[in-house]
Amino acid sequence: MQPEEPQYQYPPQPESEPVREPQKPYEKSYIEGDNSFSNIINHLLKKPLSVIHTMDDKEDVRWMPILAMTVFALTLFGFIVGSFQGATEQMWLAPMKIVGGVLFSSLICLPSLYIFCCIGGLDKKFSTILGIQSCTMAITSLLLIGFSPVIWLFSSSSDSMSFFGFLCISIWLLCLFMGLKFLTKTGKAFGMSHTRHLYLWAAIFTLVTLQMPTTLRPIIGQSDKILELDEKKFFIQHWADELDEQHVRNRAKTGRPQRGVDQ
Amino acid sequence: MFRKISQLFSNIPALCRGDRALIDSWMEQSPTFVLSRTLPLIILGCGSYGLSMGLWQGWEMASYAGLKFPLVVIATLAVNAMINGMLAMVLGSGISMRQSMQFLFTAFAICALILGALSPITIGMAIQGPAAESPDAKFFHSVTLLTHVFMISYAGIVSHSMLLGALRKYATTRKAGMQTFIAWLLGNLFVGAQIGWISRPFFGSPGSPIQFLRDDKFASSFYESIFRSLQNIF
Repeated sequence: MQPEEPQYQYPPQPESEPVREPQKPYEKSYIEGDNSFSNIINHLLKKPLSVIHTMDDKEDVRWMPILAMTVFALTLFGFIVGSFQGATEQMWLAPMKIVGGVLFSSLICLPSLYIFCCIGGLDKKFSTILGIQSCTMAITSLLLIGFSPVIWLFSSSSDSMSFFGFLCISIWLLCLFMGLKFLTKTGKAFGMSHTRHLYLWAAIFTLVTLQMPTTLRPIIGQSDKILELDEKKFFIQHWADELDEQHVRNRAKTGRPQRGVDQ
Repeated sequence: MFRKISQLFSNIPALCRGDRALIDSWMEQSPTFVLSRTLPLIILGCGSYGLSMGLWQGWEMASYAGLKFPLVVIATLAVNAMINGMLAMVLGSGISMRQSMQFLFTAFAICALILGALSPITIGMAIQGPAAESPDAKFFHSVTLLTHVFMISYAGIVSHSMLLGALRKYATTRKAGMQTFIAWLLGNLFVGAQIGWISRPFFGSPGSPIQFLRDDKFASSFYESIFRSLQNIF
């Protein structure tokens, strides 16, 4: 019987550090060419940071044309949303409510954005923060215009208010996500030490914009009143009620017994 | 004329391989040039596949479906053109609005080639199928439905992924290329399904009349019908 060979234990190897590519230093870029609408739109979509840097450093681009662009884009989006039930008064009410709602949401959230940016270590003027928010909303609105043929397609081929409402909210959230991505990117580019405050602000702003259509309802459907400000509702409760009503309507349409009624 | 047609067909092998040099050269060309190369392929490929879809119910349905299927593809591209271009820009793909349109027409041309190549099989399947009035028609209808859904999805995914390599080349980062690809794919599937739903029937349910478009084409959306079907099941 052979003696058991002592097992050789390898000394622990020092963990090799992963090779990291050296990060490229952030380089500021500015709007190339003239400050025409089309050029600004092009830069907002392709290089949004260049718009902010031009606004901040060169003061060439003001927030006013960007705001005008946002209003125009939201009006167009509102017009398509309002056309869901054909040529009704919602066609002019919906754009007004959407533009007003988004601008009001931005306005009431602007002070908190400024404070959160300061807490995060950003040393910029209030006008720069205003510019950042204008650009965020402009990107969101431009993407909404891009989605408008899709919304039109579904508005003309469906009569379900719940489905159409859900679609509009989903598209709004998707576009807003893209806009807010730019916001956090800008924070990092400007050297914010803690961008988590911006994520919190983004969540709050999203909640505000979700509540706003409920407050300003009806935007899609028809009603005797222009606004239903008497009845206060949280948006989740409102959507749950809408879904219940739609369910009842569907059951009535198909002639089947309604769940929870005929049992 | 004959030279132009032979030029068009000479591109087919390279297009099926997703040849980078060919795609790159097309991206540099004008939209008219790309349309002149891709649109005939879309009409021929999707047209022949559409024809095979409707053939089961006879020549009238086959001609309707053959006409509608390429139109569905073109309408999907038209509805999504703006958002696809914008998403490509926002996601940092480095592709302009014009190039995104050219990219997608190329993708759909590859999709049409795959479907066109599969159409002899589906034509054979339609010819061998039981008559629309027979008791086996319902079963055959389900089989046909699943087969076409599988083949169209396969062709769509393969054709889009052919362009992924080229898309990555243009993109600022690998992640941006992938994100743009997924956004395009999802957007085209989402809208394409609805346009297809509005344009139904393509092969028609047994017992339903043969029509170019259904009377209730704008009554509901594709996704509502899926939701209702799920509600009926559960």
